[in-house]
Amino acid sequence: MSRPCPICGNSVGDPHTNRAYPLCSARCRAIDLGRWFSESYRIPGEPVRRDDPDSLPFDPDEDA
Amino acid sequence: MSVSNRPETSKTPSDNPQPGAPPSPSAAPAPSSSADYAASNIQVLEGLEAVRKRPGMYIGDTHDGSGLHHLVWEVVDNAVDEHLANHATRFGLTIHFDGSITVEDDGRGIPVGMHEKGVSAAEVVMTILHAGGKFDHDSYKVSAGLHGVGVSAVNAVSELLKMEISRDGHVYYQEYKRGVPQAPLAQIGDTDRRGTKITFKPDHEIFAQNPGDTSEFNHEIIIARLREIAYLNAGLVIDFKDERVEGRDHTFLFKGGIREFVELLNKAKEPIHDQVVAFRVEQDKVDVEIALQWNSSYAEQVFPYTNNVHNRDGGTHLTGLRGGLTRTITNYATNANLLKEVKGGLTGEDIREGLTAIISVKHPDPSFDSQTKSKLVSSEVKGIVEQVVVDRLGRFLEENPSTAKKIVEKAVMAAKAREAARKAREVVRKSAMDPLSISGKLADCQDKDPTRCEIYIVEGDSAGGSAKQGRDRKFQAILPLRGKILNVERARLDRMLGSAEIGTLITALGCGIGESSFDIAKLRYHSVILMTDADVDGSHIRTLLLTFFFRQMRELIEKGYLYIAQPPLYMVSIKKKELYKKDQEELDRFLLENGVEGLRLKTGDGGTLWGDSLLNLMTRLRRMRQALSKLERRGDPRVFASLARACLLTREHLKDRAKVEQAAEELRVRIGERYPDMLPLTVEIGTDLAHGGSTISVTSGAGATVRKSVVDFELLDGSEYGEILAIEREIQPMFPFVKLDDGAEGDVIGEAEQLWEHVDTRGRKGLKIQRFKGLGEMNPTQLWETTMNPDARVLRQVTIQDAIETDQIFSVLMGDAVEPRRLFIEQNALTVKNLDI
Repeated sequence: MSRPCPICGNSVGDPHTNRAYPLCSARCRAIDLGRWFSESYRIPGEPVRRDDPDSLPFDPDEDA
Repeated sequence: MSVSNRPETSKTPSDNPQPGAPPSPSAAPAPSSSADYAASNIQVLEGLEAVRKRPGMYIGDTHDGSGLHHLVWEVVDNAVDEHLANHATRFGLTIHFDGSITVEDDGRGIPVGMHEKGVSAAEVVMTILHAGGKFDHDSYKVSAGLHGVGVSAVNAVSELLKMEISRDGHVYYQEYKRGVPQAPLAQIGDTDRRGTKITFKPDHEIFAQNPGDTSEFNHEIIIARLREIAYLNAGLVIDFKDERVEGRDHTFLFKGGIREFVELLNKAKEPIHDQVVAFRVEQDKVDVEIALQWNSSYAEQVFPYTNNVHNRDGGTHLTGLRGGLTRTITNYATNANLLKEVKGGLTGEDIREGLTAIISVKHPDPSFDSQTKSKLVSSEVKGIVEQVVVDRLGRFLEENPSTAKKIVEKAVMAAKAREAARKAREVVRKSAMDPLSISGKLADCQDKDPTRCEIYIVEGDSAGGSAKQGRDRKFQAILPLRGKILNVERARLDRMLGSAEIGTLITALGCGIGESSFDIAKLRYHSVILMTDADVDGSHIRTLLLTFFFRQMRELIEKGYLYIAQPPLYMVSIKKKELYKKDQEELDRFLLENGVEGLRLKTGDGGTLWGDSLLNLMTRLRRMRQALSKLERRGDPRVFASLARACLLTREHLKDRAKVEQAAEELRVRIGERYPDMLPLTVEIGTDLAHGGSTISVTSGAGATVRKSVVDFELLDGSEYGEILAIEREIQPMFPFVKLDDGAEGDVIGEAEQLWEHVDTRGRKGLKIQRFKGLGEMNPTQLWETTMNPDARVLRQVTIQDAIETDQIFSVLMGDAVEPRRLFIEQNALTVKNLDI
């Protein structure tokens, strides 16, 4: 089972032979690291309600 | 500056030799029949004697084989020059059994007419250093001229050299020993062919003086050079024969020339575009030929040639190629708006990453930086090549936009990686340089042995504070980490890890980061435990951290060092006892167990339920309630529950009009009786053409509370309803229940809902249930007891499979595909379930 590289989409091959797994290469791993450091990995939150822009977008009691 | 031309012809140190006398003991005297002939050549022989005295100056090292093979190249060059002048189509090279070599071409043949010096032109070529070039300027527009000294130097260091020229219908022949002609050039026969055939045997006095000297031709070296020549001269046929060993003979012919050369070089690689880009242009008498193709590797592989000679240190042609590439690709990418993501623009190195190219220029009068021609310095070549690249590659890109896009994307990736690596180095250096910034945050443990040490990465400062107080400082370190919240255009709150936080994390772990510095052996804690809140925020931070560890520190997971703490979500207090329950599931089970405790029921079909059998029934009921709650989106779950309870309606029934009408009636009655809040009620029967049956629409309530519930094929075919129906069929025969109190029959429990409520009420009696909204609500003691004490806590070890799943979710969240992302967030953001490993 080979996955696509999250950076470039190439196949990442086998974890036993590819040191950079789950990235395809040292190059893409460096790009990934750069993205962490440039804070470009953001998990999108839910929309803020229009009528109450300061509210948190979720009610912590509602989860689980 | 140019130093390409002629090494000085050194004078022999000996006295002026007498006319007719041999110039040196090693050169045999000319045959008596041509005494005059020899006499006229004294000066010439002096020149060749210089070569014999100091062969290293003219042909290179005579010990290691380089000089020896140089002789071959000199002779081969003459054949190639004939091809470059469009007079020869092929040449053959044969290594003979006795160590001599023959090179034979089908060119014009060396001129045989009498030269002003009184000997044949061919003899001048053979005996005067550099005579070939001087001899007839217009004969060769471009000359390999590469090794500079000409075939006369070969003659000088050959114990025997035979020359056969076919020209103007005749065959001419002449023989030399150590450079000395044995007779004038003579016509020996007739032919309709033409060409030059040179056979020479290197002089063992020069090439095999010391034991260990290389005096034999290496077929691999020769084949490699012949192959190179064949690539650089498309269409030239080269026949190689080695009479010493069978099976080495080979014919080289590359009609595609350097295009094929590039294909060969990229053979073991993955080209990112199918076609090699190749063009050939002659401009200002310089013939420029370029072939290039990018592959997915990061290495640049460019071979520059001038007049068939590889220029190891490049030169003006390589500079021109690079300049042209940078200009052309940058222009194209800018115009096509492909550089949005690259702030600093593309560098030449970005563009040349993964490039395989050959540039071959043929120049009538090239200049080199040194005798070895390792670098071309003719300054006009740079501008010519650059212009050719800009014109031709530019046109290619315009005409092949999809290939152009791939090439640009490759360069963009390179630029991003370069920027990323720079950024990473900077952050790591910053956080490493400032140990105070980390000591302020990290509460380290006393033990320094990584195998015993644990680090808790705790979400939020307040929880971090509790953890610091509650921990066992001997072996437990605490690093509070805050996820960063970003307000996107005041419309959405995104979560991420701040770069400073990541820097601190890396420094605290001590094992470095990135290709060159990551070393798992330096990890300071062999248990890295993520402790986050059980809410959306916590699960997002966990997703981020897991993905970061997986991508950048995979070994940490592979070695089993990464864990997720399992803080309880509920605390149940009974009298003075406190019990912690991990999650809703565990709490529900506890409440049911507590509720059935001491309860005995007689079932409608004559059985008795208590203990485990009753608990099993309750678990089934709970399952049904969960399935019903999932049907919320289709309408009021009570409608669907009633449908299953009263009618046991299946999807097949929808085709039976009578059954549908009966079900509609039963719904009306049942809802009317039991759920007055749903009135007024309208039940309508509709038609479902797609499935050939009916539907039932129930509209309940009025005004703001009006709600529509649709019973159709899709609902009845769904897995939720299927499960509800199965459970209904199973439990219906048991009702009604009769409570047995101390053996006597008590209250009657008619339906499932009543039973549920009864057990639930019993279960909760005398309990206080507290839900922890976050880690921060637990005091240090509670945190220690439930989540940090090795004797009581439950840690979940993160497996590679967990990480793969998390990374997939993460990739969907980060992905460009908007629709899957929107769906994913919609389905999972509220329940957290899928993010919660």
